Amino acid sequence: MSRVVVMDLRRHNTVLVGHHRYFVFEPDGRPLLVRDWCPHRGGPLSLSRQTPDGRRLVCPWHGTKVGTAAVKRTSVPMVRSGDEAVVMLPDVDADTPITVIHKRILANLPPEAEQAKTVPCPPAAAGVHE
Amino acid sequence: MTITTGVDGGPIEAYCAQRVFRPGPEVYITGNPYRRPVGSTGVGDLDFSTPATEAEFLGYRQLVAGRILCNAYESDMILLPPAGLATAKEDFDLFYSDEVRGLRDTIRPGLERYAFSFLDDAVTVPPVRTLEELQAYFLGEVGGAGAPADHTGNNPAVDTGAPVSGTMRAITECRHAEEAAGMHLIQLALDALTEASAMARNLGGSYGVEQSELFKIFNDEFGYGLYPAKHSTIFKGMLASVGLRTDLHAYWNFYLTSSLVGVNYFNWLTEDHRGVFRYMAAVTYLEWLFAQGFADTGAMLRTVFGDRVDTKYCDEHAHIDIHHGRMTYENLLLGFARAHGELVIPELVRGIEDTKLLLRLGDEDFRAQIRWADTLEEHTRLGASLATSTRDDEEVRRLRPGDPFTTRVHDADRVIEVTDGEVDVHAWATDRPHRLGRGDALLVPRARLHGLTAVSATADVAVRTLEGNLT
Repeated sequence: MSRVVVMDLRRHNTVLVGHHRYFVFEPDGRPLLVRDWCPHRGGPLSLSRQTPDGRRLVCPWHGTKVGTAAVKRTSVPMVRSGDEAVVMLPDVDADTPITVIHKRILANLPPEAEQAKTVPCPPAAAGVHE
Repeated sequence: MTITTGVDGGPIEAYCAQRVFRPGPEVYITGNPYRRPVGSTGVGDLDFSTPATEAEFLGYRQLVAGRILCNAYESDMILLPPAGLATAKEDFDLFYSDEVRGLRDTIRPGLERYAFSFLDDAVTVPPVRTLEELQAYFLGEVGGAGAPADHTGNNPAVDTGAPVSGTMRAITECRHAEEAAGMHLIQLALDALTEASAMARNLGGSYGVEQSELFKIFNDEFGYGLYPAKHSTIFKGMLASVGLRTDLHAYWNFYLTSSLVGVNYFNWLTEDHRGVFRYMAAVTYLEWLFAQGFADTGAMLRTVFGDRVDTKYCDEHAHIDIHHGRMTYENLLLGFARAHGELVIPELVRGIEDTKLLLRLGDEDFRAQIRWADTLEEHTRLGASLATSTRDDEEVRRLRPGDPFTTRVHDADRVIEVTDGEVDVHAWATDRPHRLGRGDALLVPRARLHGLTAVSATADVAVRTLEGNLT
């Protein structure tokens, strides 16, 4: 079943759904609620930094680069009205606890100059490995 | 500190005399992680006051010291039997008791000096002083060890299709390749079933960005908090897939001396925090080598066991250790060098040099063990032909089924002759041990691990030292 959550975007940027996390990602200034989960090993993409060209996020766990387009595709349906957002979380049981909180999100910060020095990852890191 | 024990007993004898450290009748020890026999009677009389030399690396005292130290280090880990504590509660209480821990703390420093001091003499530390020199040294060393960096210069290169070579190939070429491969997995199990527990000792404290980098690696080792993804869990899956027992230290009697010393080295460096820089460099070197190493191990296992082996553990390491190789190199080895400079770089280099030597000695020990265990028939023929070339130092033992079982090594080549009855020789973990009947004699080269069990109601064996050394 789907669950509906109302967020105040001035106060909240993260939704905890059982063991899953979502965070408000604003790649183009438009907020999207996306999975906080690197496809490589589940690292926290909310704590990733953008590559200098802004097209990818660098996961803090293994340096895996994940395209922002791929991250955007994990977004859940959201209807905004001013700072209020109504989001629909798919496939969530009725008894799964849902918490809305505020966390530090690094993925929305502009790229740092030093990000240009990011150590290259091996090709294997590009694949999804679970 | 000098530790010697005499007939009146001392702390080592008192430690070894604890019920959990005395041999029982089992060849394989299951359902009880506290039972880990040190040796047969008399181990308390061994003198550990003079450190072992490199030439004595595989001697009996190193084996005994290795077992005691392993027990000592693991008594600060939480170990519980998977089927529940009910049948092992008394041993749990004893293993973690004040008395045993008190003895442990008394004997450990002296045994560490005995076991590891040879590294001071055997290892030459090259004059690496600067960050740039350290980078060049490390990449040169891993390249020389057959694990060069990939095109980026920062990740270990891995070729999952590479043909097996070296020790992995030697395993596949054994007549009893499954036993040899099993023996290899058993040596890995000594560490893998408590994987990253030594690393866990370095997670606490406050030491900057390197602490967080180590935690990322630990997080992988522990499967991100998911038990099915924990490396020790997938290691159990690999053991089970080839019919090996998954209980911690089920194969306690089959750990080689070099395996014990190698794993103890990492526990030692993490127990004694003066070893932190050596540890960080040693783990960097290993993580880098593991990437290709476990690709090779997986290939070996598939060659030996075919489709039935679950190599997820090897596949996981062949992948994640590309990352860990890079992460440890960039963020730990070079990270500590950047943060603390010339003050610690020689210690970092020392950790790599120690590890190189321990790996080489361990490889030689394992190769010699499988070479001997794979040819016990030939060594029985050799034993018969050499039976008249032995010294007059006969030790006679009478064995009965169910007697306390333990494995040991001798410091010289010996001939074991069965003078009455039948015995089984356990040179590796197998359901088909080598049987000796009355009149048979087996040549046991120095440092080869073995144990005997009686097959007949009684069996008499005579053990004599060979004149001169074959090995």
